[in-house]
Amino acid sequence: MATKLWAILLVLFCTAITTSAQIFYKLGANVLQFNLFSLITNYNLIIGLGLYAIGAALLIIALKGGELSVLYPIIATSYIWVTFASSYFFNESVNLFKWLGIVFVIIGVTVIGYGSKTQAIPAEVI
Amino acid sequence: MATPLWSIAVVLLASFIGSYGAVMLKKVSAHIRQCIKHPIKNPQLIISLFFYGIGTVLFIVALKAGELSVLYPLVATTYIWISFLSIKMLKEKMNFYKWLGIAIIILGVSFIGFGSA
Repeated sequence: MATKLWAILLVLFCTAITTSAQIFYKLGANVLQFNLFSLITNYNLIIGLGLYAIGAALLIIALKGGELSVLYPIIATSYIWVTFASSYFFNESVNLFKWLGIVFVIIGVTVIGYGSKTQAIPAEVI
Repeated sequence: MATPLWSIAVVLLASFIGSYGAVMLKKVSAHIRQCIKHPIKNPQLIISLFFYGIGTVLFIVALKAGELSVLYPLVATTYIWISFLSIKMLKEKMNFYKWLGIAIIILGVSFIGFGSA
């Protein structure tokens, strides 16, 4: 089955959701206390878990629209979102290595996208 | 912080478990409606989410304990396992560009890991 564009875009959106989930979860985990009142008022934690669940649901929907070997590597773009989010929310620096890595991930995902449309070689040749 | 051996082992384990979970999620997605309507007859959804979730949790635990410059490249090997598993279990086909793209992504993730040291 060819991999549809909507599935690719959905996985991209899904990784953005999961990255946001990580940030809320991290904020919530920082003030985590194991008593009932604290847990149910830990809005960051609750939002983070909720976003994780939404992300998983969107991923399953997206997987209907294409090959796993094409869609799964797109999740690598989460490293890009996390790098920028960490820089914005937690003041971590985006150095040359990180920029290089971001560029390579983008190129790699694009190449896989291109590869999803070209002729496949039989499994025995791999 | 040095990277303890156990965190490398946990990352590799999480990588296998997570890859398997992803393949199961792909299989589940084909008949997702039945899984939601009759979850007891179709436990595949719950089982695959479980595997995928365990893989994620193990990653989080291991990444906290070791250096990203060492662990990120290992996390990126997940894409290799998924490629092989999808050939074997999902009858997908790989080709030169898909392998090339994965190699480039692994390099990219490794660079991000080095940059996070």
